[in-house]
Amino acid sequence: MSEPILIVGGGPAGLSAAHAAASAGRKVILVEKEDRLGGAPILSGYARLVPSHEWAADAIGAMVKRVVENPNVEVRLNTQVQAFSGEPGAFTATLKDGGNISAASTILTTGFTHFDSVNKPEWGFGTYPDVVTTTQVEQMISSGRGVRCPSDGRKPDRVAILLCVGSRDRQIGREWCSKICCTVSSNLAMEIREELPNSNVYIYYMDIRTFGLYEGEFYWGSQEEYKVKYIKARIAEVTSDGKRLLVKGEDTLVKRPISIPFDMVVHAVGMDPNVDNMTLSSVFGVDLNKYGYIGRANTYTTLCQTSRPGVFVAGAASGPETIDDSIAQGSAAAIAALNFAAGAVSAAAE
Amino acid sequence: MPIHEKSLIRPENLREQENLVIEGMDVSGHWSTFIESRAVTDYNEALQEEIAALPGGENIHRCWQCGSCTNACTVNAVNPEFNPRYWIYLIRLGMEDELLRDKDIIWQCVSCNKCTYACPRDVVPEGVMKATAHWLELKGHTPKSPSMLFDEVFAGQVIKTGRIEDGLVLRDFFKRTGQPLNQPWLVAMVLGLVKRFPLAYLIKLGIATIRPDRTRGWGRARDAINEYAEEVEAQNRKALGLGAKGAK
Ligand SMILES: Cc1cc2nc3c(=O)[nH]c(=O)nc-3n(C[C@H](O)[C@H](O)[C@H](O)COP(=O)(O)OP(=O)(O)OC[C@H]3O[C@@H](n4cnc5c(N)ncnc54)[C@H](O)[C@@H]3O)c2cc1C
Ligand code: SF4
Ligand code: SF4
Ligand code: SF4
Repeated sequence: MSEPILIVGGGPAGLSAAHAAASAGRKVILVEKEDRLGGAPILSGYARLVPSHEWAADAIGAMVKRVVENPNVEVRLNTQVQAFSGEPGAFTATLKDGGNISAASTILTTGFTHFDSVNKPEWGFGTYPDVVTTTQVEQMISSGRGVRCPSDGRKPDRVAILLCVGSRDRQIGREWCSKICCTVSSNLAMEIREELPNSNVYIYYMDIRTFGLYEGEFYWGSQEEYKVKYIKARIAEVTSDGKRLLVKGEDTLVKRPISIPFDMVVHAVGMDPNVDNMTLSSVFGVDLNKYGYIGRANTYTTLCQTSRPGVFVAGAASGPETIDDSIAQGSAAAIAALNFAAGAVSAAAE
Repeated sequence: MPIHEKSLIRPENLREQENLVIEGMDVSGHWSTFIESRAVTDYNEALQEEIAALPGGENIHRCWQCGSCTNACTVNAVNPEFNPRYWIYLIRLGMEDELLRDKDIIWQCVSCNKCTYACPRDVVPEGVMKATAHWLELKGHTPKSPSMLFDEVFAGQVIKTGRIEDGLVLRDFFKRTGQPLNQPWLVAMVLGLVKRFPLAYLIKLGIATIRPDRTRGWGRARDAINEYAEEVEAQNRKALGLGAKGAK
C-alpha cells in the first residue's frame, strides 16, 4: 500500500479531510501545532454555530472524536512541519519535534488568524475594557458566564455590534469580505437578546451579507423575532464619557451625525490569512494569493490544488470560509489527494 | 398629502389653493396645503465621468457609501449639511439638480484630508471635493472660491518669477477677494516683526516687497509650466464638454 496522506492543521477542514481519507482506507497523519484538535471553533471557544445552532464543543467535538477513534489516523499534536521535500508520491516532511514522515501527498488545512482589533485604534479596542470582539462574546456565552461588561461585570443595557472590523478596508490592506461575520453577528445579537431580554442590540453595517439561506433565519429572524436594529453607518470612533461608551458616526440613511451611548461595543472581527502563511509558503513551496492566503491553482477541475503538484489546500487556509464550506472542501481535497496518490503509484508501477 | 410641519419642506414644493371647497368643506388657503412629491426624474450619466476626469476625482467610482468620510470630516462637525458621502452618491448616480442645491457649501472643504485617512476604499474624498468644486466653477455654477483664488495668486507668482514673496501673495489675495489690507491680525503680525527683526533684515524685506526678486534663467521653466498648465486646463474643459478656452 502506498504512503500515507499528510494533513497539516486539525480544524474543521483538516478533520473532514482526515475522516474522508481514512474512511477510504488510507493512512493519514494529522499534524496540529496546538495541544488540541478542533481548530478555531474549539481553540477560541465559540458558542452555538451558524447555521445549526449546535454548540461548537458538541458539533466539532464529534468531528474530533470520529477522527481520533479511526485506526487509520495518527495524530501528532504540538508540532509543525519544518521542512518538506521530495516528489509527488514520495514526499518527506520533517517535524519540529524531530522525526520524518513519508507522505504520498499533503493537504494544508492551516486555517486563518483572527483579525487583531488593536489595528483599528479608533474603535476603542484595547483602550476601553467594554469594547470586545465577537470571539470574546462567543466565549462569554460558551463558558456559561453570560454576556457581561468586562469593566464591572454588569449586564449591558445597550450593545453595539460593528461589522467588517478588519475586513473590506483598504486602509489596513484587507480588501476581502470575511463572509461569515454578518451572520455570526446577527446570531450573537439574538443570543444576547435571549439571555438579556431587556437589552437593546444595534448592528452597524455597510452592507449585510447573510447569504443564501442565512437571510431568512438570521437577518430577518433577528429583526422580526428579536427586535435587533440595523443601522447603515460605518462608525468613526468609539470614545467614552467616563461612564459609558460613545459611538460616533453618520447614519447615512437619515444623513445625520450620531453619537450614541452604549454599555458594550462588539467588533465583528474578520478572518486574516494565517500568520504562519509566509512560513508555510516557503516550507511547502506553495504560492500565496495576492491577499496572503494559500493560492489555488484552479477553480473548477481540481478545486483544492495549490501551485505545487501533490500539495492540496482546503478551508480557511485559502480564504475566508464558513465551517460548512471548509468541511466540504476538506472532503474534496481528500478525494483529490487519494486520486493523486493512486495516480502516482500506478505511474510508478508502469 | 396634507401637512403640518412646513419648515421641513422645500418652499417651492408647497402647493396651496386660494379657494377650494371639497365636498362642501371650505379648505381654502393653508387648509389645502399639499406637497409636490420630490421625484427624481432623470440621471445625468456623464456626471461621474466628468468629476472623475478632473484631478482628484479619479477614484470616485470606488465609493460604497459607508459614511466614514462624512463622520471624520472637519467641516461636517460644524455644518451637518457639508456631507461628502452624500455628494459622492449624487455624483455617482448623476443627480445633478440635487448636487447644485449645495453648490455654495461644497467649496468649503478645508483639505485637511481626515476623510482620506478614514476612507476604507481609498476614494480620496478630499480630491473628489476639490474636483467637484472645480467642476462647479468650470461649468459656471459658482464663482471662483477663495481657496482657488489663493492658489491662482500663489501659483501665478511662482510661474512668473520662480519665487514666492509672501507679502505680495497676501496683498494680491486680499485685492482679488476684495478684503482690506489692514486686517487686525496682519497689522499685529507686521508690528511684531518690525519690533523683533534686525534693521538690515527689515530693509532687505522692504526692498523685496517693492521689487520682487526673480530666479535667474527662469524664462524657459516658466514657458514650459505655462504650456503644461494650459494643456491640463484644456483637457479638463474638454472632459466637461466645454470649449477649449474658458473666460480667464
Ligand atoms: C468569531 C467567529 C465566529 C465564527 N462562527 C462560525 C459559525 O458559527 N459557523 C461557521 O460556519 N463559521 C464560523 N466561523 C468561521 C470558522 O471559524 C471557519 O470557517 C473555520 O474555523 C475554518 O476551518 P479551518 O479548518 O479551515 O481552519 P481553522 O479552524 O482555523 O483551523 C486551522 C487549524 O490549523 C492549525 N494550524 C495553523 N497553522 C498551523 C501550522 N503552521 N502547523 C500546524 N497546524 C497549524 C490551527 O491551530 C488550527 O487548529 C466563525 C469565525 C469567527 C471569527
Ligand atoms: S460578512 Fe459582513 S461583517 Fe463580515 S466582512 Fe463581510 S460584510 Fe463585513
Ligand atoms: S478634506 Fe474636506 S471633505 Fe475631507 S475631512 Fe477635510 S474638510 Fe472634510
Ligand atoms: S469614506 Fe470613502 S467609501 Fe466611505 S462614503 Fe466616504 S468616500 Fe465613500
